[in-house]
Amino acid sequence: MAVGKSQSLFKEKPIKILLAKPGIDGHDRGMFVLAKAFRDAGMDVLYAGLLPTPEEVIDTAVSEDVDVIALSLLNGAHLTVFKKISDLLKKRKIDDIALVGGGTIPDSDKPKLEKMGISGNYGPGTPLSTIIDHVTKRASEARLRKLGGR
Amino acid sequence: MNTDAIVKGIRGGDIPSVSRAISIVEDRSQISVSSEIMKKIYDRTGNIHIIGVTGPPGVGKSSMIGKLASEIALRGRKTSIIAVDASSPFTGGTLLGNRVRMQESINRNSIYMRSLASRGFKGGLSSAALSTIRILDAAGFDSVIVETVGSGQADIDIMKIAHTIIVLHAPGLGDILQSIKAGIMEIGDIFVVNKIDREGAFLAIKDIEDSLSMLPGGPWKRKVIGVNSLSGENIDALLDEIERHRSLGKENRGDGEAMQEMSIYIEDELRRIILERSAPKGDLNREMKRMMAKGIDPFNGALKLVTSLVGSEI
Repeated sequence: MAVGKSQSLFKEKPIKILLAKPGIDGHDRGMFVLAKAFRDAGMDVLYAGLLPTPEEVIDTAVSEDVDVIALSLLNGAHLTVFKKISDLLKKRKIDDIALVGGGTIPDSDKPKLEKMGISGNYGPGTPLSTIIDHVTKRASEARLRKLGGR
Repeated sequence: MNTDAIVKGIRGGDIPSVSRAISIVEDRSQISVSSEIMKKIYDRTGNIHIIGVTGPPGVGKSSMIGKLASEIALRGRKTSIIAVDASSPFTGGTLLGNRVRMQESINRNSIYMRSLASRGFKGGLSSAALSTIRILDAAGFDSVIVETVGSGQADIDIMKIAHTIIVLHAPGLGDILQSIKAGIMEIGDIFVVNKIDREGAFLAIKDIEDSLSMLPGGPWKRKVIGVNSLSGENIDALLDEIERHRSLGKENRGDGEAMQEMSIYIEDELRRIILERSAPKGDLNREMKRMMAKGIDPFNGALKLVTSLVGSEI
């Protein structure tokens, strides 16, 4: 996909992103930092609030028709919970919403998450620009699938 | 999803189809698809009750709407919410924060809620919100609650098409009349004072009642209702009042409503067409510079540019 094309695309409608911590994890300081960074990068940012269930995250994503869901967990449950989200998306036959992850994720878990379609998986200290670039790339892919389906 | 599938989905009340259709009408680059959708759902529209909620920031609009929507759902009605969030004027980004305040109600009662960012529209917000309302209408929603910050032209446009307008306030934010005097006293159908557990709530209600009594009366007697959006206290009384207003107003609508809607669309489309014609080639900017070099004053420069774009005389 030509870079210029995606830019003109988002000139009309910005990337829409949902931030979620779908597990028993109340540490959302990082989420607010990210929310502000995404907003300042020109995106429409939603936050799912504290302690949503995976079903609630998907319901919100579908209602708001987001391009990306950004998942974060700092409690070590990412392999279980992120997988549940990815499975739910597949079950509902949704292929035009991208999944990205982050939090305290050991390097050895990253390939497993990638296999579920959850990319990024950045840890603490990652430059915000790296995250924004990655989200933009995944969002553009999702957006093209949304448009391509018609 | 193709357009026919989306239209079929909307008519069947399918949420993913409704969501996708709203994204399309929000997206100014998909005007032809939007027009097709709106054409094909038109016969199903006209039944939804549009409840507008406005008031200064921080009075608890989102929380109140969450509770109100739950109360409507409890009475067995299919309800929906549209909330407009302000975008950054510098980066264009938006934090769609209204949703968090009502998330619990939404989850528990399967209420459809959609956030709209005020930016990216260049004046198209009103038409995007309007089309969104009609999509929900066609999908069989009995009512839609529209939340705005109550400032700016687009917000006022949305309020013009609402059937019942609720003006919300809370004690402790300074002089009540100061923040609701300009235009809002007249547009409100029901006045609500939130946070009635707080000090000064009684005086706030009294203040509004006093100033309402000075307005010319009509067939509808405007009431002031105190609620507590955290506990849900008195929300049922508010809904009773909304229902009363709804049953009264039904006969008074008709053509005026459709004309109002069309004029909102006309304004947005005019702006879009003029900008589209001039912006891509960089014409507008170049012409503006040329005009300024000639020493023409901005008002006459603008008149000249616009008349040349639409091909008419002043």
